[in-house]
Amino acid sequence: MDKMSGYAFVAAGLSTALAMVCYALYALSGLRAARVQTAGVPTTSGALGFVSGPRTAAIGRYATMLGWLATVALLAGLVFRAIATGHGPFANMYEFSLAFAFGTMLSYMYFERKYHQRILALVALPVALAMMWYASTIPSTIEPLVPALQNNLLLTVHVAVAIVAYGSFSIAFGAALLYLLQPEGGRWGLPKPQVLDEIGYRAVVVGYPFLTLTIILGAVWANTAWGTYWSWDPKETASLVTWLMYGAYLHARVVRGWRGSRAAWLLILGFAAVLFTYFGNLFFGGLHSYSGLNTMN
Amino acid sequence: MTHEVRTPPLRPTAVAPGQTAASAGLMDYVDAGLEGLWHLLTSMRVAMVLMMVLALLSLAGSLIIQITADQAGDSAMRAEFLSMIQPRYGGWTNVMVAGPGAVTLIAGIAMLAYGLHRFSKRGELTWELGTGVAVAALGVLVLATDTLGLFNVFNSLLFRVLVAGLVISLVACTAHRIPGVWRTATKPRVDVGASFFEHAPQHESVVVHATADETLATVRTIFRNRHYRILTQSDGTVHLYADRFRFVAFASLAGHISLVLILAGAIIGTTFGYRNPSFVIAEGSTIPTGTESGLAMKLVTFTDTWYTTVADVPSDYASKVELYKDGALVAAQTIRVNDPLTYNGATYYQKAYGQAVVMTVKDAQGNVVYSQGLPLDQTAGDGSGRDAGTIQIPGASDVLYVFGTTGTSDTTIQPGQVRAVLVSAANNSTIADQVINQGKAQTMGNYTVTFDRESQYTLLSINRDPGQILIWLGALLLFGGFTLIFLLPQRRVWARISSRGATSVLSVASLGRRDAALGTDFDDLVTDIRAALQTPAQG
Repeated sequence: MDKMSGYAFVAAGLSTALAMVCYALYALSGLRAARVQTAGVPTTSGALGFVSGPRTAAIGRYATMLGWLATVALLAGLVFRAIATGHGPFANMYEFSLAFAFGTMLSYMYFERKYHQRILALVALPVALAMMWYASTIPSTIEPLVPALQNNLLLTVHVAVAIVAYGSFSIAFGAALLYLLQPEGGRWGLPKPQVLDEIGYRAVVVGYPFLTLTIILGAVWANTAWGTYWSWDPKETASLVTWLMYGAYLHARVVRGWRGSRAAWLLILGFAAVLFTYFGNLFFGGLHSYSGLNTMN
Repeated sequence: MTHEVRTPPLRPTAVAPGQTAASAGLMDYVDAGLEGLWHLLTSMRVAMVLMMVLALLSLAGSLIIQITADQAGDSAMRAEFLSMIQPRYGGWTNVMVAGPGAVTLIAGIAMLAYGLHRFSKRGELTWELGTGVAVAALGVLVLATDTLGLFNVFNSLLFRVLVAGLVISLVACTAHRIPGVWRTATKPRVDVGASFFEHAPQHESVVVHATADETLATVRTIFRNRHYRILTQSDGTVHLYADRFRFVAFASLAGHISLVLILAGAIIGTTFGYRNPSFVIAEGSTIPTGTESGLAMKLVTFTDTWYTTVADVPSDYASKVELYKDGALVAAQTIRVNDPLTYNGATYYQKAYGQAVVMTVKDAQGNVVYSQGLPLDQTAGDGSGRDAGTIQIPGASDVLYVFGTTGTSDTTIQPGQVRAVLVSAANNSTIADQVINQGKAQTMGNYTVTFDRESQYTLLSINRDPGQILIWLGALLLFGGFTLIFLLPQRRVWARISSRGATSVLSVASLGRRDAALGTDFDDLVTDIRAALQTPAQG
């Protein structure tokens, strides 16, 4: 089972990389199509303004299929890993990184289906790929659970919920990045700014309740295992910082003068806080210091 | 999440003629000040800035070593802590101590300067003046009282003031919103006037070849199929109001108020709760728990289990305990890390464990004055890292210190031995100092000391937190509220049907969502209405 999960992760990595290539080609041919269109040759126009010719559409479909393949492979790998270890695949940095990659892929595929903006893959897939690459550099040995982690229900739910939140936030990050990259009014065959703004917001709307739930479940667990629901442990605090950041973002959207690029910057900061929370184990110790990387032992 | 207040500049209103200028002016300033304060408190911008500043401070708190509550409470320990971290942060130590206060002061002065600048230029009294003074005063107060700064972020005055500010702003915002939300839910405006249908963010107009009543019936069906609540009025022109998920606005209010509940829970917990983070008890001993009179806990056994497949990874810590109330057994459980014991509102958690020794001490007459497990939960002061325990001989001023072995490599105190030091507390002199073997009675001063055997102690944390119920209630409201807001977005649509003979004009408009630019729901709705109305007209 452990081996099978390893194979599944390799397959996921390869299909993500291939999907990445296809998405890049798709974006490039989209650019070409956009130029052709300005020259007056009729092309079919996507639902929300993205221009696509027949060949472009084919590449796009392949990219999407590969993306789904990668998502399914990641899921399979996680399931095999869970069967091999006997607990939710979220107990150390190796498992958690792959789960993060899965969360990002799943959120991306969901938003692609919903908004048909394949261009987002150019940010989301590298995030997933980086997580998988990171996982491949750290030990994947199955470590038995220390007593504090021996709560299968909370381990699985607390972290699974966190993965959904983090995955959505990486999509919001992608949308914000593209929003800030494109010049006033939109260009380069990128989605319209309003569309990117909308996707970023929708992603946070999905992620925020999940982040809230992650923190609450964390408090419930801390209260069961350590006897205190909040102890200003660095990881707790970092997740609070993330929560405050996205909270500020949600309010920024209804405050005049904060919509648009300022809100997009908040999304970038928020994702920085997510990464800080995520990698925090490695350098700040504390009660969450069971990364499997022997930083504390 | 649907409310915004822009802070207007505070202008002293004109003094009415005939009134004494001085007193009326003063009252007007007070009025304007209060009004400005209310605007400030209900401003979402202020809440947002507070959230970001809190996030920044918390970030610092998660990166920088924080002093423990015990250390912070004692001035000598505070000084020791600061000197300990001095080498690590060097000259930055003082910057980090004074930083928060200094930054607050500078921010206050900057605001004040900006306010004065505007006043001198345009004669406007702006919110920056008052806020600047308040923030600068807070900065001075923090500078004067806070000696730990970024090393004690979460218990600092500044952090508390900011949290309090956020909560006040949250309560004010919510209070400000309640009447509107209530009116919208119970008595929404059905007739919004003709110009609304031209200026609303989303609006559409259709000419229909049907009477107003027929049109209304069709529109009504469409809204009903979409599960909208429909209200109509007619004064020749038909006015229609339809909404969906109107109670979600209350979920938003609940979600925000939940944070107040959580904070209240935390305050109640720290004020009225009982907390003992290190309740130490050796195997075989019975010790009062301190939570209520007459309640004592006995540790039957402590077991630490380790994985055999991997080195140095524990698999289980289990304390088998019994609780006695006035000598009668009331509870018994094996406490594990994820399985605490709760009795009468107090909860006992597995925290740590360590080495204990069973000691017997007899006095000169041969009476047993001490015979039980002694937790070696202290550390020897000589830097050897040895575990140590202290026996206060009952009825005497003598104290017996016991030191354990550090393991097989220990040449001074070998496994199977302890070092016992008998000190007379009366004149602080050592009476006897010996390494004694297990099972052999040893005479020390007036006492006979026996090291019976090794055992273990467990360290539990005891917690009684009456505020917890509020915390979990708040958590539930928080999650439930936020989920509902995002899952069931509130929709409000107005329609107006005016007849012109056989044809009528249907106008539909919606405010859209302030937080989302692309509302496809309205477009779908209009498409549906058009489709439904055109079929009979063409047929």
